[in-house]
Amino acid sequence: MSDAPARPARTVKLNVINEPKDSYTGGKSSLCPGCGHDQISNVIIAAAWENGIEPHRIAKMSGIGCSSKTPAYYLGQSHGFNTVHGRMPSVTTGAYAVNKDLLYLGVSGDGDSASIGIGQLIHAIRRNMDMVYIVENNGVYGLTKGQYSATADVGSKKKKGKINTTQPIDLAALAINLGCTFVARSFSGSKKQLTSLIKAAMSHKGFALIDVISPCVTFNNNDESMRSYGYVKENEITLHMADYIPHFNPVEEVEVPEGHFRDIELHDGSTIRLETISDEHDPSNAVAALTALHEAETDQKHVTGLLYFDNTKPALAEDLGLVDTPLIDVPADSLRPSKAILDQLNAALLG
Amino acid sequence: MESIANDYTINIATANGTGSQSANLILLQAFFEMGVPVSGKNLFPSNISGLPTWYIMRLSDHGYQAPGDRTHIQVLVNPATWAEDLAALEPGSVVIWNENAKMEMNREDVISYPVPMSSLARKINPKIAKLVTNIVYVGVLAQMLGIDQTALESAVAKQFKGKDSAIELNITALGLGRDYFKDNFTKNDPYVVEPREIETPKFFIDGNEAAALGCIFGGVQMLAWYPITPSSSLAEGIINYIPQLRVDDEGNATCAVIQAEDELAAAGMVLGAGWAGGRGMTATSGPGISLMQEFIGLAYFAEIPSVFWDVNRVGPSTGLPTRTQQSDITMLYEGSHGDTQHIVLIPGTVEECFEFGWRAFDITERFQTPVFGLSDLDLGMNRWACEGFTYPDQDMDRGKVVRDKDVFEAFEEFGRYLDVDGDGIPYRTLPGSGMDPILYRGTGHNPKGVYSEKPEDYFNLMARLKSKIDGARDLLPAPILREETECEVGIIYLGSMENTIEEIDDMLEATGLKVSQCRVRALPLHSGVQEFIRRHETTIVLEINRDGQLYGILRKELPNDLITKVHSVAYSDGMPPRARIYSDRILSTLKEVNQ
Repeated sequence: MSDAPARPARTVKLNVINEPKDSYTGGKSSLCPGCGHDQISNVIIAAAWENGIEPHRIAKMSGIGCSSKTPAYYLGQSHGFNTVHGRMPSVTTGAYAVNKDLLYLGVSGDGDSASIGIGQLIHAIRRNMDMVYIVENNGVYGLTKGQYSATADVGSKKKKGKINTTQPIDLAALAINLGCTFVARSFSGSKKQLTSLIKAAMSHKGFALIDVISPCVTFNNNDESMRSYGYVKENEITLHMADYIPHFNPVEEVEVPEGHFRDIELHDGSTIRLETISDEHDPSNAVAALTALHEAETDQKHVTGLLYFDNTKPALAEDLGLVDTPLIDVPADSLRPSKAILDQLNAALLG
Repeated sequence: MESIANDYTINIATANGTGSQSANLILLQAFFEMGVPVSGKNLFPSNISGLPTWYIMRLSDHGYQAPGDRTHIQVLVNPATWAEDLAALEPGSVVIWNENAKMEMNREDVISYPVPMSSLARKINPKIAKLVTNIVYVGVLAQMLGIDQTALESAVAKQFKGKDSAIELNITALGLGRDYFKDNFTKNDPYVVEPREIETPKFFIDGNEAAALGCIFGGVQMLAWYPITPSSSLAEGIINYIPQLRVDDEGNATCAVIQAEDELAAAGMVLGAGWAGGRGMTATSGPGISLMQEFIGLAYFAEIPSVFWDVNRVGPSTGLPTRTQQSDITMLYEGSHGDTQHIVLIPGTVEECFEFGWRAFDITERFQTPVFGLSDLDLGMNRWACEGFTYPDQDMDRGKVVRDKDVFEAFEEFGRYLDVDGDGIPYRTLPGSGMDPILYRGTGHNPKGVYSEKPEDYFNLMARLKSKIDGARDLLPAPILREETECEVGIIYLGSMENTIEEIDDMLEATGLKVSQCRVRALPLHSGVQEFIRRHETTIVLEINRDGQLYGILRKELPNDLITKVHSVAYSDGMPPRARIYSDRILSTLKEVNQ
């Protein structure tokens, strides 16, 4: 027995629901060291923790590919579903229909979202499915060793192979055209901006698309690639600095910017504060957002920030016309009509 | 002339989109209200307006429901099929034909009743003459056969529920048809209809509506679907019944309905609902099931409750979209890549469509595996007599779901895919519960649900899945047996062949054979099927397809000593099964076997 005094407990920082950050971490990543996706996983952990969401109330959804493996690396206390290639939106929609009270956090890649699953992405947007949808976009298929994806930029060259000449699909522009209610673009290296955007997306009711340029260090991080760390750092146009002000603590940690800023209120009462950098960008103006994307593309640059936002459209739950209780909690006697009702029905059919 | 009562087939040739379906249903209902056993088959084209449609009505005091081998009374309205329909008739058949069609009546060996249907219809209302034309031939038939006016009027009232002007117009048109026959012809054919006493009151309903009601009483919580013939009316049946049967006081529903962008998405939604702990389903046909294969494999491998109704139409490919077949059996049973085996429920009657509608959810949640309902166009879209639906005889079985922290903590060891009870069925927790949060996956996994490529993990997982499905055999709906004491010939069949089997049986027994029957109602096959084969000298597996798919499954699963006792009779031409074709083929197969 030792007489030494007990070592004082290390102070662990807790969030608003008294959970340590450890409650939000996951397993060890098996992606390539330096992968942009791992940075995004860390941001997801930080955003969920800082937002004070109960970890078990999150559902982690993904498709197939490097990005879709990442749900194993964050939020270990949340149920998740690593579904099939490109079809995560439909699985999420079905789960949401019977349990609308979970926070659905989807992570996908550019193969998943811009090719095989583009139809499901489009229709989830069309329904304003209530979810956060992060595309970890690197312009190549990683798990099959470096083929170009449908988001590869014209003029870009991956480590091995020819310069890409096929027109890319810009998922942010596509989403804006479809009337997606929250459209952002970010960069896995812009931790502060990405954290604010993911936190804001978690507070949004409706489909929140965040297209994150996330360099593939193995197959697409060479100087000739337009999705390499070096290229994106030098060619990123930030529309605004974004800050997220949580609904439970509206004064804490808010830096009042010196220049112009715009506060956008989210569905749960939180605010995303956009500090303008140069020309003012109005996120409620779809045409301005598309112009910014188009001009950036012409200049071979990447524009980041909250591109478009609309909080007036109803989310899918309202369209479904369901009872307030999530369907999985509806008692059996409300799911199966009584024998008397079947007897009446039989009698009515007999006429 | 000796009259023939309640034993003949009427064939009505029209073009679709002209309103003939409601006229034909009025006629069918009128026979039904007179207590006459009658069945109707709608042979419609894959088109909205203008292509040939035939409606075949069989009256049979024996209760035979197949279309019959020949037409006794032909109604000719459609010029497009006129010559062909006329040529197919046997001498002595009756032809009621539209004189205004400007088509030739070139048969002198038939009993001909020319009726100016279009000009009679124009008298009522020239704008809707096309629609009214159809009611005119119903009136003609009513007079010719002697259908009760009360039965006819009641049938009209049922068809146009509450639409008084439509009811009035139709009754007037029926009168015109009746009067025309009365004023212009002397009946010189033998066909009459005689009322029969109704012992048990019945109503007409199609299999899709019956299945839809079954799903409603099964507590369906999410329907995701993509329109496809011939299953759309199953999904629409659910949608139509929700406001009546599945809403709270404020009209909010306890079942979500999502019209998906395609069948892949519909299947994905079903899996999502099952994963989250809800009762999700879709309704589709063969082409849809083809598209859903990837998700079916995921549901099998990740063990997600999910219900898929397949209303079989003629394949392969787009095939004959509006014709019937039993050709998706193998695809359902072994759906998706890799080694799989699925539970398939196969109703043969509208009562069973209802029963399997609710039971499918209990079975899918009990076994945590996809469950298929296999119906077909004939059962699903044609109307069948039904005594009424029976209320579920057991409470909903939600399967091995751990909902309670205390229960969860009482497990010595918990793993999503751990076989605790030795029945191959593991326990699961639901998203949102915080208990045993795992990442479900379609990749290889160990009993804890963690990714694994270890040979023993993969081997054990696949062996457990096989034992789980094997364990379902005798818990699924048992085969229906009708056995002769002689055990000479046994016929194994399934699904909508139920409606033709009695007539086939009578034809075979007329040759002196003793024939037993075994109707398979589920896959994997119940042990009773094997015992049936063992008891009988020779067994025929009778199916509405080309390749003998059920026969193939039996060949694969039966012990060697029984395989030689089993023979296939499979035939399909898109038509609902006609008894003579199948009984002839059975007889020639038996002849070959006995040589």
